Amino acid sequence: MANLRAFAMPKWGIEMTEGVVAEWMVKEGVPFKKGDILALIETDKITNEVEAEADGMFPKLVAETGGTYQVGELIAVLTGADEKPSADEVSAFVSGFKPADTAVASKAGGSPPPPPAAAPKVEAAPEPVKTVSIAADANISPAARALAEEKGVDIAGITGSGDGGRITFQDVLQASLPATTVGGSPVEIAPIGETLGEVFASPLAKRLAVQHGVALSSLTGTGPKGRICKADVLAKVKPEPVAAATPSAPAASTAAAAPMAFARPAPGTAEIVKMSSMRKAIAKALSHSKSTIPHFYLRSKVRIDAILGLRAQAKAATGEAPSINDYIVRACGLALARHPDVNVQVHGDEIHRFGSADISVAVATDKGLITPIVKGADTLSVAAISREVKALAEKARTGKLQPEEFQGGSFSISNLGMFGIDQFDAIINPPQGAILAVGAGSRQPIEIGNALAFATIVEISLSCDHRAIDGAVGAEFMRTLKGLIEEPKLLVG
Amino acid sequence: MARQMIRDVIRDTIDAEMARDENVIMLGEDIVGGMGSPGGPEAIGGIWGTSGGLWAKYGSDRVIDTPISESAIIGAAAGASLTGKRAIAEIMFADFIGVCMDQIWNQVAKFRYMFGGKSKCPIVIRMPYGAGYNAAPQHSQSIHAMVTAMPGLKVVMPTTAADVKGLLTTAIRDDDPVIFLEHKALYGVKGEVPDGEYLIPFGHARQVTQGDDVTILATGMMVGFAEKAAAQLAQDGIGCDLLDLRTTSPLDEEAIMDSVERTGRLLIVDEAPPRCSFATDLSALVANKAFASLKAPIEMVTGPHSPVPFARELESAYVPSPDKIVAAAVKAMSYRRG
Repeated sequence: MANLRAFAMPKWGIEMTEGVVAEWMVKEGVPFKKGDILALIETDKITNEVEAEADGMFPKLVAETGGTYQVGELIAVLTGADEKPSADEVSAFVSGFKPADTAVASKAGGSPPPPPAAAPKVEAAPEPVKTVSIAADANISPAARALAEEKGVDIAGITGSGDGGRITFQDVLQASLPATTVGGSPVEIAPIGETLGEVFASPLAKRLAVQHGVALSSLTGTGPKGRICKADVLAKVKPEPVAAATPSAPAASTAAAAPMAFARPAPGTAEIVKMSSMRKAIAKALSHSKSTIPHFYLRSKVRIDAILGLRAQAKAATGEAPSINDYIVRACGLALARHPDVNVQVHGDEIHRFGSADISVAVATDKGLITPIVKGADTLSVAAISREVKALAEKARTGKLQPEEFQGGSFSISNLGMFGIDQFDAIINPPQGAILAVGAGSRQPIEIGNALAFATIVEISLSCDHRAIDGAVGAEFMRTLKGLIEEPKLLVG
Repeated sequence: MARQMIRDVIRDTIDAEMARDENVIMLGEDIVGGMGSPGGPEAIGGIWGTSGGLWAKYGSDRVIDTPISESAIIGAAAGASLTGKRAIAEIMFADFIGVCMDQIWNQVAKFRYMFGGKSKCPIVIRMPYGAGYNAAPQHSQSIHAMVTAMPGLKVVMPTTAADVKGLLTTAIRDDDPVIFLEHKALYGVKGEVPDGEYLIPFGHARQVTQGDDVTILATGMMVGFAEKAAAQLAQDGIGCDLLDLRTTSPLDEEAIMDSVERTGRLLIVDEAPPRCSFATDLSALVANKAFASLKAPIEMVTGPHSPVPFARELESAYVPSPDKIVAAAVKAMSYRRG
């Protein structure tokens, strides 16, 4: 009788009710090792890798790839790596399975642990330093002796690496550090099969051939004596579509066959694409927002010449500079701190005012829009905001955002300036009360004194939820924001 | 205590050892110093002036002028040493080592090992080496890395007059083959020499200057340059722990580690070209055994990967100078992590 356990849809975060099994990374009946990636599971806005917490094997994969399953629902039958359950046993287990209460599903039976990042790191309390005595004639260097005494390292257990077994500073330092295990899981390298071994090709070419699924026998080598080289393999590899940049995206493998950027159905036909769960989430939230929230728009033109000057200084000083958007995030953070009536969420007949400006920054990914949050933007420097935005955008593009990194927030910024859009209005990201739309900077004539001059102007538009924010309140906010952007000394001070 | 030129210290030390032990003999090209010349057998005293007067004192049986055959010099000296003599062989220029390499590398260095430790070959091979003498590529090289790399040989590179006396005495009395490298440019340098019997054990570096900021390792003529550089660096508030290594084999690893663990910075000055050199060897040693102590990358000031040029200007550009040493020390001090 094999020991069968349930492998259920995990629950990541309080809001998660269902998940899509985007891809099984293991096969039925094939044992896996602890740490192997078992499946990619997609929720509203993220794709997570499910790691094996122990060696094991799935005699049955219940969930179909692409299928949506409730949290706690059985998606596979789990057993030990060396067990051989009969088909009857497995089907009896499947039919007898009852989902656990979803609130505790993540702790049930064989369901996987929450993603590793969520696990709290337990740090051992530092041990008190022991006093050690080192014989005056010990074979140890003076610096090593001092270190051993300082750190309380017993030198009796140390084998010296110096001349004649003398204990060096380095020896003591290493002995004072916690033991670490050398090595780890084996490095994945492309298998060199018998057929690959016989082909006259460079090792790199062979590896690339395996990675890209190119048959080496179909190639003519252009290297020395007709050796197949890297360029030969790459010439055969079709250019990858942008989608391939996110390896965890389940669509990437099918999209890879289509030519880049111009993928479209044959003339005269229409292709039916099922909405991804992310697409569905966007559609649901924004339909609700645009149809139920009374939007109004406040538009303003702001000069960004001063910000451009600061950027140039930062670039000259450090070699890199925050983006215009980073300055605008900072300006919004400060303006929200001064106008808490705009820093709100609307929940039914309640208005929640926040003490911290948590600003959602819209990031376009190949799968759709996502809005990671810069938390406490009113307390962060422009440089810190810049780093934060970069890190969040990178996580968003690779589908690695944690739910708490994109759920919540008290205000949003959407910037389409990089696409050359002069001006636009954005839909409020509920339950937030307002969103700022930022266009591209352009050189425009302005009147200064009685003379005509040129300035770099950005058009900004604030979409407000009139249920919570009145025109005058929004307008006061915009006046403060304009002041901060045009006098950015206030931003960096 | 007497003040003497290094070439005279060498002659006096050999003299003292020949007087002390009748088994000590000398072989080399023109070491009698004028045999067949109108002024008499000792008119010149050898081209380096390191053996004047010894032939008159000890005779042709113990001070032997040889044909121009380095292979024969080392072969004869090695054979004599195997039978109980203590031969001091002189190779007029270290650059000629190639001619007698089989005798040194495959014979002299191997006897003790290949005969089960039952034979010994107490030979001292003196070799003038080094650039700065405007002697062109075939007479200016520093060959210490090559011989240091050979197990079975001890390699000495003295710097001061006192060290020449102490180390040469130890070399002659040592039962193993010793390569005694004398920098040509130092022969005329004067220094205080202790009176009476004076021995310095091998494998003990000499602390030249003390400081807490940069460890400088040097040998031979480079020690003086590094000392000048250290004085200049001291003016700028940079303390140099300068070690004259004295012997490259055995190596005073202990002194090196102690110093590097204290200063965290290492600068190696070596006259030889930089590839597969004594400098890279020291660098690897410290990187391997004192990595945790290092605060900056190890700096090396060496000659370029090129033969020693003949033209005076080029030769002085070739040899490491105090200025280059100062610049490298400042570079190590200016290094910032991250």
